[in-house]
Amino acid sequence: MIDMIRAELFKLRKRSMTWILLIILATFFCLMFFATYGIISSPPDGMHGVAIDEIKASLQFPGVFNTIFSTAGTIGTLLMIILGASSIGNEYGWGSIRQVLTRRGIRYHFVISKLVSLIIVAFIGLLISVVIGSILALITSNLLGSVNWDSITASLIREQLANFGWTLFALLPYILMATFFAFLGRSAIAGIGGGLGFYFIESIAVSLLGQAGGWLSKIPDYLIGPNVTAIMPPSPFSQGMLPSAGTSLSTLHATLTLTVYCIVFLTASLYMFKKRDITA
Amino acid sequence: MDNNADLVVRTEHLTKHFGKLVAVDDLSLEVRKGEIFGFLGPNGAGKSTTVGMMLGLVAPTSGKVEIFGLDTQLHLPQILKRVGAMTESIGFYPYLSGENNLNYIARITGGISSTRIEKVLDLVELSGREKDKFSTYSLGMKQRLAIACSLLSDPEFIVLDEPTNGLDPAGVKEIRELIIKLGHEGKTIFLNSHLLHEVEQICERVAIIQHGKMITQGPVKDLMKKGDLLQLQVTEPEKAMAVLNNLDWIRSIVREDDKLFIDVNAERYAQISAVLAREDIFITEMRAKDNTLEDFFLEITEERTN
Ligand SMILES: Nc1ncnc2c1ncn2[C@@H]1O[C@H](COP(=O)(O)OP(=O)(O)OP(=O)(O)O)[C@@H](O)[C@H]1O
Ligand SMILES: [Mg+2]
Repeated sequence: MIDMIRAELFKLRKRSMTWILLIILATFFCLMFFATYGIISSPPDGMHGVAIDEIKASLQFPGVFNTIFSTAGTIGTLLMIILGASSIGNEYGWGSIRQVLTRRGIRYHFVISKLVSLIIVAFIGLLISVVIGSILALITSNLLGSVNWDSITASLIREQLANFGWTLFALLPYILMATFFAFLGRSAIAGIGGGLGFYFIESIAVSLLGQAGGWLSKIPDYLIGPNVTAIMPPSPFSQGMLPSAGTSLSTLHATLTLTVYCIVFLTASLYMFKKRDITA
Repeated sequence: MDNNADLVVRTEHLTKHFGKLVAVDDLSLEVRKGEIFGFLGPNGAGKSTTVGMMLGLVAPTSGKVEIFGLDTQLHLPQILKRVGAMTESIGFYPYLSGENNLNYIARITGGISSTRIEKVLDLVELSGREKDKFSTYSLGMKQRLAIACSLLSDPEFIVLDEPTNGLDPAGVKEIRELIIKLGHEGKTIFLNSHLLHEVEQICERVAIIQHGKMITQGPVKDLMKKGDLLQLQVTEPEKAMAVLNNLDWIRSIVREDDKLFIDVNAERYAQISAVLAREDIFITEMRAKDNTLEDFFLEITEERTN
């Protein structure tokens, strides 16, 4: 099993898609930081001083960590859907899946090694996000004054380690969903379409249902997005706006709901993959 | 039976349905240790599906496959350790080099050295191009890489599904020689093919299937021998088979729909029609043929294209 995971990482490392997605991640971070800095360095007329201070805080330590994790969570979800769906779906498209299965003969090894390697990539991606985000924060902090080193305390670091864990956990349901759709449709397109489709349709549904009354407004509490919002560090840009769905959910509720999603997608993928014939 | 110890493959009433389509129909065949076994049939006959079931890619609807005496449904991982396979549509990672594709397979297989990788690349004459990306390979090179890959773990049993597909005549010859060489090394080889002459030149024994059904199996020499083969079309083929099977002067009968192919001396022809008439079975067509396997095979393949 370990050798299969390592072999999987070998493939991901050699694949240009992995690196392209990483470049997208880094570019997105740079654009976001500099665009935000651009806004506050010449704020539009009528922008409240409070709002400006909030945004400033989101670009400096320690507030910048929330920015880093929420940004990494959002863009990371989209990138991991693409990578996860491709990692599974392309095995069908290229026919390499037969090569793998006629070597091992234990189908769940394939599914598990794929997922573990994707989680490792997500972990590394998140780590890189933190590094890039911190470097950018050093730059913006200097532009806005100076780095407040006193704010970096042991408890802050502990808190950020927890945020790191929650962000990684928040990526899981979407990774598992994208891979599930890729298995279902036996293609990368099915996985990307299913994953991104769910992501966007869900966010629209959440805002529509949020306006509805009665039991309809309860539905978002059991969807993925609001529960992800509930466990993630608050996004600096959601403050001052309408309270977004999920902010009222307890961490326990969110953790359980997301865990159920993970288990369902994983079980469905494993079952389907075990049962189905692999023909040309 | 001590005979079974010599069997590498044994399928027992192996059947596969895809919805209504019966791709493999009650197939029972045996491959012995050390032989090159040809599995011959026209397009769509069920060869690849059979190979899929042998390798655990396709689950049989009923019946079973035993390899090395082990049921593939129960002991697949153990079996696959001793098998090298090249499936029909070859699958590699386009962004990896040929060598890295083998590296990857070696990693997930375990116990394969880098010198072994070099050796198999050399064997299929890909040395020199091994660092190039798989996506830049020609069809023939891809095919060679797949053959190399099937040999990676130096397996006892090698399954090749149409290995010469897309190769030029020189390439076909090389691969044919390679297969024969592997046979001499004592490997057991299962070769899928729709090319009679390929099977004829390489294989010791052959099975022919059509529409998923086994038509005949036996040593190539016997099947290819020139002889009197009588082709009969009769009103009740099933009954006719039963009647004729009781006659000890008939060497073999193969049935294909309402046609019977009978291996018998020419002087017995009249006797056959008499025996059948007694049972109220009537002959609608009677033809003497001389080359068994080839005509026979052409016949079934032509029938399909018509
Ligand atoms: N996944 C599938 N779903 C439905 N039908 C299938 C599937 N796979 C194969 N078949 C059908 O099963 C039959 C046997 O196919 P198979 O690929 O085993 O033939 P083959 O003998 O290998 O042919 P060829 O010489 O063309 O490779 C064909 O009619 C094919 O259409
Ligand atoms: Mg085939």
